[in-house]
Amino acid sequence: MSLKEKIMKLFNKKNEDNLIDADNEIAINVEHLTMEFKITKDKIDTLKEYVIRTLKKNKKEKQKIKVLEDISFKVYRGDRVGILGFNGAGKSTLLKILAGIYEPTHGKITINGKVAPLLELGAGFDKNYTGKNNIYLNGAFLSMEEDFIKEKYDEIVEFSELGEYINYPVKNYSSGMRAKLGFSIATLVNPDILIIDEILSVGDIKFRKKSSEKIRSMMKDGVTVLLVSHSIGQIKDICDKCIWIEDGHLVMEGEVNEVCDAYVKSAKSGKK
Amino acid sequence: MVKTMFDTFSEKKFLLKELVKRDLTSKYKDSVLGILWSFLNPLLIMLVFTAIFSMLFGRQIENYPVYFLSGRVIYDFYSAATKGAMRSIKSNANLLKKIYVPKYMFSISTICYEFINFLISFVILFGVMLITGAQFHLTSILAIVPIFLLVLLIFGIGLILAVCNTYFSDIGHLYNVFTLILMYASALFYPIEIVPAKVQIIFTLNPVYSAISCFREAVVYGVIPDLSTLAYLATFAIAVFGIGVLLFSIYEKKLALEI
Repeated sequence: MSLKEKIMKLFNKKNEDNLIDADNEIAINVEHLTMEFKITKDKIDTLKEYVIRTLKKNKKEKQKIKVLEDISFKVYRGDRVGILGFNGAGKSTLLKILAGIYEPTHGKITINGKVAPLLELGAGFDKNYTGKNNIYLNGAFLSMEEDFIKEKYDEIVEFSELGEYINYPVKNYSSGMRAKLGFSIATLVNPDILIIDEILSVGDIKFRKKSSEKIRSMMKDGVTVLLVSHSIGQIKDICDKCIWIEDGHLVMEGEVNEVCDAYVKSAKSGKK
Repeated sequence: MVKTMFDTFSEKKFLLKELVKRDLTSKYKDSVLGILWSFLNPLLIMLVFTAIFSMLFGRQIENYPVYFLSGRVIYDFYSAATKGAMRSIKSNANLLKKIYVPKYMFSISTICYEFINFLISFVILFGVMLITGAQFHLTSILAIVPIFLLVLLIFGIGLILAVCNTYFSDIGHLYNVFTLILMYASALFYPIEIVPAKVQIIFTLNPVYSAISCFREAVVYGVIPDLSTLAYLATFAIAVFGIGVLLFSIYEKKLALEI
């Protein structure tokens, strides 16, 4: 195939994509995403140091680390996409960008739909607040409306299995109880897109079953799922597509079993 | 329907309410006197200042406690709200790294919280006015104008400081010194007349003093605030507000990487 043909083929493919775009079938569209973190060995974070260094002309060059480089993929509505990769591959950074916490250095992200980020459960809890007050506070952080929480309050308490502990300060909760409450609030909205970062293993075995049932029932309603997990079994169980990231690059994208098998193979060969 | 986080006003309003509530409850938690401290604190400070300075300036200033308190409540609001807004991004760093929340919400909520404290301190001012037999004037309503401009000024300064504080953590120390200078340049506890005429120009340039003098004219002296002072305050406040909003909107996206 000549170069010209290749380019023509790429061009045609792009056109097809645009057609689907118009149908609004794409939930998440990531185009040439690059994320850089600036790091210096000793960070200047005071004005005093900044002035001294400038006067002495002793400013350390900032080092840029590319955590993600030129990543492009599409997630269609109703897809359940697993994200695989070794520690430090950039999975969590990718999820944080998709959740709107970080702004990418280059590239473009389009998200169609309401996102429920389950990155860290109960991140906004105030430990002196009771469970009840925290439901409202955390709901506010997750951009819910007051009436909505009032209406669903009983449902949250019931799902969290906290019973009368809901009236105690969260600082007296065990980590499992905290996670249960966080999960109950975060999954309350009916999101279009669910972003999950290894949190399905919260609580005791009973709650774990309940939470995965909850996710499954949301999936039945056609929610798009993005899941980071180190458990191949879990990914194969939940997802139908998979993305494999290594050192910030997209290595493979495709059907879940194919990618998982290739990933496991590479992990094994890497060990040898 | 496509919907993103925090794109409706009611979501933001609810978040603001919850954030202010969090600040208020954490302030009054575990203290026996609770909300009473909000009254006692300025009252005690006023008593100390009155006891000391009314001997010095008592003859030059009519009703010293009211003169002092009227300046003090304005200055305290300015100082506490700008300092709170300055810290608002850094002190919520943990949260901002984990959930997406518009960052300015934290600055706004701190300023709202300080505004509530400011309103509470009015009760003391009016109480002291009653006890000392000061006259109440209809022009007091006009005090809304300098207060509104002061709030604008606080928003601008607060947003600028919040950005600076995430990049340079020692801004807080510098700003503490700055507010101290500002306090002495606001004629809180002495009459402006004792300052040499040449130095008085510093006072007229100080927007916080502009707010204080307009407030005193309206509430304590019962006259319509000096229009040129008000105009100066308005220009200054709107300019700073504009700069603050602009600076913050430029840096907002980058802040998550710095905290």
